[in-house]
Amino acid sequence: MNDDMRDRDRGDRGDRDRDRGDRGDRGGREGGSSRRKRFAMVADKNLVLDYKNPQLLKNFLSDRGKIVPARISGLTARQQRQLTKAIKRARMLALLPYTS
Amino acid sequence: MAQATAKGVVHSVASKRGTQREYESVTILRPSTGKPEIAALIERMQGTFTDYGARLIKIDSWGTRILAFPVDHERKGIYLYWRYLGGSDIVAEFERLMGLSDKVIRFYTVRIDEDVDPDARPSEVTEALIDAASEPGPDPEELARLAAEEAARRAAEEAPRERDRERLDRDEEDFFGGPVEDDDDEEGDR
Repeated sequence: MNDDMRDRDRGDRGDRDRDRGDRGDRGGREGGSSRRKRFAMVADKNLVLDYKNPQLLKNFLSDRGKIVPARISGLTARQQRQLTKAIKRARMLALLPYTS
Repeated sequence: MAQATAKGVVHSVASKRGTQREYESVTILRPSTGKPEIAALIERMQGTFTDYGARLIKIDSWGTRILAFPVDHERKGIYLYWRYLGGSDIVAEFERLMGLSDKVIRFYTVRIDEDVDPDARPSEVTEALIDAASEPGPDPEELARLAAEEAARRAAEEAPRERDRERLDRDEEDFFGGPVEDDDDEEGDR
């Protein structure tokens, strides 16, 4: 009985793994590829998120002018903190909209 | 007590003695502000920097830009970037004077560094730099209109050439009784 259950469990897990693999972009750790999809400009190691560069910051705003979350942009926690600070400063100077 | 009233000193127990802080400010001026008025503002601020033991390191004009939202009923603004070294009191004085000026519609100051040795940061400010910074720059809407006109003019020039090319193709087809293939590529492959 216990063995049957274990087999079934293992079978389920296998299905889940296959599903995840099919989705590609969320692919897990199997392929050794990056865990998340990132914005293209995030790949640049020397990315400086400064309020004086509103053209760069615009990439991290949604159509409504909201700040894109880190799980979408692929920024690290530190970069995301820099980003929010830079965007809020740029908004103060009317370089970026509060809402649109 | 004398230390507390000294100009250009950072009043903080955490800061090193004999050092200053580096600040940067961005001010937005009304688009109607002319070059002499901007030059007068810079000159007045330079006097204030001297009085307060501070030093202007850099000044730059970002030109006239369209604002992301109206500020003080203005849709456009002239952006002026200042970088300076000073003590604790310079920012309050800078912002007080900016608030008093009716040409300034917004200002924002950021501390970029502290414990800076004043001798280690030479000033980049020259007469030519101040003259360039006083320039309000071209109107962005006017520039966009000129660019659109230029694009339309180019498109109008291109259109007859395109029509001639199409007519030539049609004539060739009529002559040969079908579409003519260009055999240049085949020669290129060999």
